[in-house]
Amino acid sequence: MAGTLEKKERTDSAFSRRDFIKHSGMAVIGMYVLGCDMQSKKEALGFLLLDMKKCQGCISCMLACSLAHEGVENPSLSRIQVLQNPYGKWPNDITVAQCRQCVEPACAAACPVDALKPDADYDNILTVDIQKCTGCKNCIQACPYPPSRAIWNHEGGHSQKCDLCANTLHWNEKGGVDGKKACVEVCPVKAIVFTTVLPSQEGNEGYNVNLRGDAWGNLGFPTD
Amino acid sequence: MRGGIWDFLQIKQTGGVTGKTGPGRSIAMAGYTGKILRVNLTEGAITTISTSDYEHWGGGHGMGSALFFDLVDDKTIGGFDPRNVVTIMTSPLSGTLTPGCSARTEVQGIGVQAYPYEWFTRSNFGGRFSSMLKYAGWDGIVVEGAAAAPVWIDIRDGDVEIRSCDPLSLWGKDTWECQRTIWDYVSGGKVYEDWIDSGSLNGARTTQRPAVLAIGPAGEHLSRMACLIHDAANGSGQGGFGAVWGSKKLKAISVIGTGSITIDDPNGLLEARIEQMKNGYDLDNPRDAVSPNLFQSAPGGGVTWESFPQFTAPGGKRPQACVGCHSGCRRRYESGLGNEASCSETTFYLAAETPETLYKATDLLNKYGINILEAYFAIQYIKTLTESGIIGPGREIDCPLNFDEFGSLDFIEQYLKMVAYRNDGLGNESAFGNDIAEGTLRAAEKWGRLNEDLTSGALAYPYWGYPLHYDPRLQLEWGYGSIFGDRDINEHCFNRLYAYGDPAYYGDSNQLTTEEVVKIITDKMVPFQDDQLMLDYSTENMYSEHMARLVAWHRYYTRFWKESILFCDNRWPDFINPNAPDMIGSTGAAEPRFLNAVTGKNFTFLDGIKLGRKIWNLDHAIWTLQGRHRDMVHFPDYIYRLPKGNKNKRYIGRENGEWKYIGIIERCVDRQKFEEFKTLFYELEGWDPLTGYPTRSSLENLGLGYVANALDAHNKLGKG
Repeated sequence: MAGTLEKKERTDSAFSRRDFIKHSGMAVIGMYVLGCDMQSKKEALGFLLLDMKKCQGCISCMLACSLAHEGVENPSLSRIQVLQNPYGKWPNDITVAQCRQCVEPACAAACPVDALKPDADYDNILTVDIQKCTGCKNCIQACPYPPSRAIWNHEGGHSQKCDLCANTLHWNEKGGVDGKKACVEVCPVKAIVFTTVLPSQEGNEGYNVNLRGDAWGNLGFPTD
Repeated sequence: MRGGIWDFLQIKQTGGVTGKTGPGRSIAMAGYTGKILRVNLTEGAITTISTSDYEHWGGGHGMGSALFFDLVDDKTIGGFDPRNVVTIMTSPLSGTLTPGCSARTEVQGIGVQAYPYEWFTRSNFGGRFSSMLKYAGWDGIVVEGAAAAPVWIDIRDGDVEIRSCDPLSLWGKDTWECQRTIWDYVSGGKVYEDWIDSGSLNGARTTQRPAVLAIGPAGEHLSRMACLIHDAANGSGQGGFGAVWGSKKLKAISVIGTGSITIDDPNGLLEARIEQMKNGYDLDNPRDAVSPNLFQSAPGGGVTWESFPQFTAPGGKRPQACVGCHSGCRRRYESGLGNEASCSETTFYLAAETPETLYKATDLLNKYGINILEAYFAIQYIKTLTESGIIGPGREIDCPLNFDEFGSLDFIEQYLKMVAYRNDGLGNESAFGNDIAEGTLRAAEKWGRLNEDLTSGALAYPYWGYPLHYDPRLQLEWGYGSIFGDRDINEHCFNRLYAYGDPAYYGDSNQLTTEEVVKIITDKMVPFQDDQLMLDYSTENMYSEHMARLVAWHRYYTRFWKESILFCDNRWPDFINPNAPDMIGSTGAAEPRFLNAVTGKNFTFLDGIKLGRKIWNLDHAIWTLQGRHRDMVHFPDYIYRLPKGNKNKRYIGRENGEWKYIGIIERCVDRQKFEEFKTLFYELEGWDPLTGYPTRSSLENLGLGYVANALDAHNKLGKG
């Protein structure tokens, strides 16, 4: 029911390193090494990757995000954003903006009250403590990736960001690094996956991957 | 037949919300925003209506019909009359995660496409308009009156303005340019690549473009083929609502919203969505769904030109979905041509010389705001008359089109401009262009050809002046449902039964017998679930009480679940599904599960069927007040006179008492037997079989006593 805080045990559907290598090719090896290095840091290792050439623009991920976290349907409150132009040319007609869970997060550095930091209660995922957040929006302005991945919750008067569903007050599934993510679960075309391997931090290449396999090709869509 | 069976369906008269439309069972709900926008263009007045006054209608069509009934005193007015009211309604599930449901918008009012009677009618469209309207805090829009000069309506959350078209030069723009211009205006010139402030004090922001519903030149010039267009190719096509907007000098409605839709049980909705996805297309275990229009059909499959090798779009492409849909039926392309087009509009111009011409022709339909089906049939009719030597330059009917160029882009652009601008398509006055913009049947009447060509079947317009879609001699529920209603129904629930008989449909699973197919489907058809003969399409059964029940159930299911709660016709019902246990699809359980998760109510599937019957009867009362009489309800002569068959075994029926997939040996609708069937259907509904008028008792049993009073005041109440 609404507002239930209890979390259920999960069934792991995380995107494995094997899957990631299969879909992303050898270029991932270098990143994998980087990922191993990250194990010693206290920040969580968990990243959402997506395929902007595959996304069908249904914004189900946005609806699931606001539903799981806020208990309402509201794209403006979603921590993942799908921007699209009906008249645009594939693949540039759609941009999906998910939080990159940056290694050196500008949003956290900009927070004057230490409200945005890894949360030990939630797998050390970089999270906004809304009790501490003063609503200064510094984190939103600091995010170097437009549209800002830290977002403004105008109904609550605070900022928020993707927590990999570690704290979904309105979804009974266990989230976080080892749990389920609402956007991944509902994406009808499997254009979003989760990995624990650190993507390349240069540009957007590491986060925008090819998730189109033979089945996709058999439907008449490009796989390259 | 009257009486007993409907005792089971009687709507309780107590416990409902009391609004102007009278008492009824309430499903007062989360999922609604609580207010409906009312815009009077004559007075320039913006007011609100409380949704709670209409909640007991469920949503969409039910609310629209009830609002129309309340707000239009004289139902006999024409579609172009400023007193005509157009409703644009959402549902409690609009903007939610409900798959294949979140995005439809229901449009109603007196249409101008039907011939010869301009019935109160409906159409709906997908995309993201209904969801954005909900996020802006509105459950629907009521448009009344007519502006003195062209205007558009600018909705930004709770702020609503009626704006002149002049500063942005919107009047005269095609639908795409109109939308682009409004996007730029609303964003204040910012590019839609970042967050954009809504302008509200709480700092609300969005990354989304406003959802705009617009008319093109066709609507501005009152072409009866004019429709409403949203984004690239979402069209409220049938009914001629583009022309109705044009008569009101309403160019567009734009809405951007940043608010929340309250959900009663967010976890329940998420669980329902994730569980329902198991019935959907599985990319890891793809299964050929045979039809592109089932719940489990593959994404991007509704684009017909992709099935013609010579027209397959080169280059990259993606499926493209309406808000919340689990399997988008359209595509976007690397060329940017043909974006979001689907279904019949993707075969509009198969004579095209190149793929590019075909896609551009479809884009022109959407830019000019033209109803594809009517435009298609019109050009085919003109071509036939041209080939017969009747139409052409200097001939009996002077026409500026040169059919030697048929297949070229120039040809189709000239034709579509004729439809949209009422001229010769080149900017010059043309009587022919003016005629064809009136629609095919009115043009044929002007040319003195209507009776001859409608009698011969040269004009295949079987229902109320709407072009052929599915033939009443074959697809029985479609034919009867259309002629008992107001338009070609365009509800594909039962014309997809063929899919369940194709071995390819079942993949590696065991083939269902036809008898099992019939049982699975009829088990869901409460309260008629015990009558399996409803699905018998054989000639022996086509005028039976069983067929009457099929037609009735289809009316109720669609009026409520598809047109009021707005489950998409392209994805629902989920009757039989190889991905489901025992292949039993989710319909019957899924629809109320989603509705209840959102609203918090305990609404059953049967409650929806009951409310669907109430809505259907309200519609029928409105048509009666418009002047409908039993004698008007008939097919054109060719349907009774010319046999039609289909050897393909697409239909279910009995042969020697055994259920089979059958072809239809050529048959007509028998005039006398249809009249007897009409009586049977009227008695099932509780309507006076002599006149077709509703009776007081039938209406009061549905909680529509106030409607009976209105009919009585106009001497339109049936006996019985």
